[in-house]
Amino acid sequence: MPDAPSHPQRPLPRRGIERLDLMLLCAEALDLNGGEAMVWLSEEMGFTDLLPNRVELWKRRCSNPLRRTTRRDLPSPAESDALIRICTALADRLYPMLRSLLSTAEPPQLSAQRWQLFEGRLAELLKERFNLRRGGVQRLLDPQEGPTLSRELIQALAFSAGPGGFERLKASLMDPVV
Amino acid sequence: MKLTNRYEQTSCRLQVEGLPDRSAGQGDQTIGILTGFSLDLAGHTELEGQREHLQAMVAAVLPYARQLLSGVPRTCGAEGDPVAISPHSGRHQLELRSSQPDTPPLTLLLDDAELADLVRCLDQLRLDPRLALPFEQPPLQPLRRRELRHRQPLAQRVAAPLVGVGVLVLSAVVSALLPLQQRPTPAPAANPSAVSSPQRGG
Repeated sequence: MPDAPSHPQRPLPRRGIERLDLMLLCAEALDLNGGEAMVWLSEEMGFTDLLPNRVELWKRRCSNPLRRTTRRDLPSPAESDALIRICTALADRLYPMLRSLLSTAEPPQLSAQRWQLFEGRLAELLKERFNLRRGGVQRLLDPQEGPTLSRELIQALAFSAGPGGFERLKASLMDPVV
Repeated sequence: MKLTNRYEQTSCRLQVEGLPDRSAGQGDQTIGILTGFSLDLAGHTELEGQREHLQAMVAAVLPYARQLLSGVPRTCGAEGDPVAISPHSGRHQLELRSSQPDTPPLTLLLDDAELADLVRCLDQLRLDPRLALPFEQPPLQPLRRRELRHRQPLAQRVAAPLVGVGVLVLSAVVSALLPLQQRPTPAPAANPSAVSSPQRGG
């Protein structure tokens, strides 16, 4: 296991869980087998005690208040750490795609097509699993505001990819709500 | 024998050279004394430097990436440091200051992808078990509320205090308009001479 967390073991705040789940959703939008990859990575990284199957993984993600089906309880620090590690490992696998979306050296037309494809898939997943009456979901689906928010999520995935990203991502998910 | 470690990403190649520190009992494959490094940022330039330059780069770039993750990028690297990085119109301006006098600083503009490549190379360097060098960086902590404040739009930020002040002013005006309860006028001072005592008939 890479570097150990330096902060005290506190559960992620609700806003942090919301962002983490949206980042995992972006990974699923980029990779059609993203859901399967999460389960596989969880086993590969030795989290079978914490997240033994896809239902348990889904239940932890359902602490996101923007979901259609939400849970009131928050994941324990160990469970949220496992989710963060899975997210950084997924971002590592998807890094070439994340990079191509963020690069300004790509031909603009190709880049626009990639963004369109990603945003389309993300919108499908949001409509399927999230509560469309929530302001946060409406903003993500908004044609004006949505692309900026999607870009922020892709940027966050790129800067937290790999084992070195764990501490960075965790610290940002613990940010207080303003 | 000189050892060389390489860390590569699409637009970034970092190469460090050094020797094992025998006095610290390090193995043959461990770099404990860094003799130099070269950093090739594709499309920009190739940099060379010493250990302190590399440490300054880690100390500036990784905290900057941490700030970016919270959506509030700010300049990392102090005035006299060899490396500083700051946000610059949607990109990231990396400033490399030479220790040679009269040499102007080298400024590079990186996009998100190039910066992510550099961050990944520095992460690989920092976590490489073949490297026994301290790459100190401030502990990664959640930001303070005031550091995140400008992430919220100005209108939302000032709405609550404005409503509070408005309610205070309104209540002050309303209370000023309310008629004051008239105090009962005190009875004129009793003047025994002016008051005629009721005469009793009889």
